[in-house]
Amino acid sequence: MSEKNKTIQQKIEELTQMIDWFDSDDFALEEAIDRFKKAEVLAGTIETDLSSLKNDITVLKQKFDSEA
Amino acid sequence: MEKVLLSVSDFIALTNQTLEYAYPSVAIEGEIAEFKVSQGKWVYFKLKDADSVVSCFMTLWQLRVPIEDGMKVILEGSPKLTKWGSFSVTVRTIRPSGEGAIKKSFEMLRAKLDAEGLFAPERKRALPRIPKKIAVISSTEAAGYADFIKIVNDRWGGMAIDVAHVQVQGEVAPDQMIRALRYFNERDELPEVIVLIRGGGSADDLAAFNDEQLVRAIAASRVPILVGVGHEVDETLADFAADVRAATPSNAAQLLVPDRRDIIRAVHAQTLSILPILSRTLEQTSRSVQSSLRGALESIESRVIRTADVLSSRRQVLAQLNPETVLARGYALLRGNQVVGESIEVETSHAILEAEVIHVRKK
Repeated sequence: MSEKNKTIQQKIEELTQMIDWFDSDDFALEEAIDRFKKAEVLAGTIETDLSSLKNDITVLKQKFDSEA
Repeated sequence: MEKVLLSVSDFIALTNQTLEYAYPSVAIEGEIAEFKVSQGKWVYFKLKDADSVVSCFMTLWQLRVPIEDGMKVILEGSPKLTKWGSFSVTVRTIRPSGEGAIKKSFEMLRAKLDAEGLFAPERKRALPRIPKKIAVISSTEAAGYADFIKIVNDRWGGMAIDVAHVQVQGEVAPDQMIRALRYFNERDELPEVIVLIRGGGSADDLAAFNDEQLVRAIAASRVPILVGVGHEVDETLADFAADVRAATPSNAAQLLVPDRRDIIRAVHAQTLSILPILSRTLEQTSRSVQSSLRGALESIESRVIRTADVLSSRRQVLAQLNPETVLARGYALLRGNQVVGESIEVETSHAILEAEVIHVRKK
């Protein structure tokens, strides 16, 4: 799945995994700065996505004043 | 008026026609007496005041609130003369009247439904953390609905919200809400949660949310239900039957979706939590490098000292071997052929002498 098609929830989970790497045995100083920058970018994307989300509200035409 | 000879049945039919024309619907307030349910279907009682009494009849299905003898009620119905010649009111709706009766009816129905387990905590289902598809049942003209939508839009987005516009107070409100509940429960694609909301009002305004059939419909819903009715102090039976009860419509919005600002703050805090780890690791690495350098320096220093010691020792030996040192102790250095008659050079610590060999004696 491309980055663009991921849901906010998936992006938040991805960010959590990125953060977990820093506490894992795989941690390597050489990669750390690069990974931190990527996490910062992802956090910014999540903020942008969340801020721009709008709800789609539909008032049903269906009437409920009598049995259909 | 011309005298008309009628059969008894025609007379009763004519009387009923006249009554129906004159009083298509009457509302009467009085006190219940001789209340009884027959064959689990028919309800009979008398409505009385200080001076008069009238018989009443209704179906059990139409009885939406519990009533008992002595309770003050307001009923709506049509007067009718039965084929047995008795006069009664055929009741369409009945509701308690006055604070005492409303409270009494509420408590009776609450006890009944509670005994059936409709309010049991184990029946409650959790709401989805971040729903994508929600259904709202409310009056779109109500202030409570506007508050709810405003707060939901402010807190979260990306949801499909279907709204069923219904009356939320009055006689027809319970049935409209029940139909809306049924509508959403019968969709091919079910919403993840149904929200039932109404702003504040008097006990009478909120009475629709104590309707037995509505409460049963809420409890029977396939979809989890969030109810936010009235103000914080208001309690309705719909609240008890709901999976989640909100104190107000605004509170329903807060319980339904997270606040995007909280998520954004948490996401940034999560990212920034990396920095101390990075800083700690860099510090540890730096300490380790410094420690290694210190070790190397100490090693070099130690070698230099050792080398200096050796050099000093060698210098001392060398100094001992210096001919000047020997001359200083009184010895002399002799150059030239040690043969009688030859000229030789004698060097002491302070002079160089020219001399002639006059005698050589073997040792």
